Amino acid sequence: MTAISVDPVNGTTQHLVTEFGSFDVGPSEQVSFPSGLPGFEACRKFVLLSSEELGLFQCLRSIEGPVASFIVVDPRRVLPTYRTVLSTADHVRLGSAGDATMLLWLAIVTLEDTTGQAHVNLRAPIVINPQMMVGYQLMPSNSLYPLRHPLSGD
Amino acid sequence: MLVFTRKRDEAVVIGDGVEVRVLRIGRDSIRLGVTAPTSVPVHRLEIYEQIRAENQMAAAILKSPDRLSQLRKQKIKEALDPQTAPETAATPVAPAGSVQPVQPSGKTL
Repeated sequence: MTAISVDPVNGTTQHLVTEFGSFDVGPSEQVSFPSGLPGFEACRKFVLLSSEELGLFQCLRSIEGPVASFIVVDPRRVLPTYRTVLSTADHVRLGSAGDATMLLWLAIVTLEDTTGQAHVNLRAPIVINPQMMVGYQLMPSNSLYPLRHPLSGD
Repeated sequence: MLVFTRKRDEAVVIGDGVEVRVLRIGRDSIRLGVTAPTSVPVHRLEIYEQIRAENQMAAAILKSPDRLSQLRKQKIKEALDPQTAPETAATPVAPAGSVQPVQPSGKTL
């Protein structure tokens, strides 16, 4: 995946070239991740990409610092009964003021090398507040959801 | 790594006032208390490391060309039930803020 950045400072548009399409990303589409992600703490700005080639999946891609891309999917598409609780700390960080109804939930997908088996991390979902354009990965200490929920391929 | 020796009830302060205090010392473990602003999350290391390892594996997902087709084969629910939301909600959560591809330009990629 290559990216041709056109002056990422001061909010000009970046042009991204990926396996699933080309994208022009403006500053209003950037989501700030103040803590990065575990393992990717230096990645503080991401964009969420959709394309027909991804189907119902999306790509969460860092656009500042090290390049990292994650395939993500709404956890309710995998488990319709999916529920998780936001702590007070989560609400404060997300700026959601106790109202979680507009939050965007994304679970990270992994693909096993040899078998091609796909798994979804339901234990540590990413939550984005689209009004504040800020996001975090939740790490509940006592989640009953699996780290690797298998998807069924054909 | 900064190394401190602390007795029971002694503490260290990290950054802008995150405090870690030794509460109780036992034979095989010690009890720590952490005082931090509400917005600062505190996790057991092993949980953080578990998520970190999983993220690192996930970030490599598109590095080989056939991965995209493997991904498309996965069965996931097309329509989200509008009555459910991961946290209590009455209205569905739209995928706000997501970016669609631009039309292809004349360049070959």
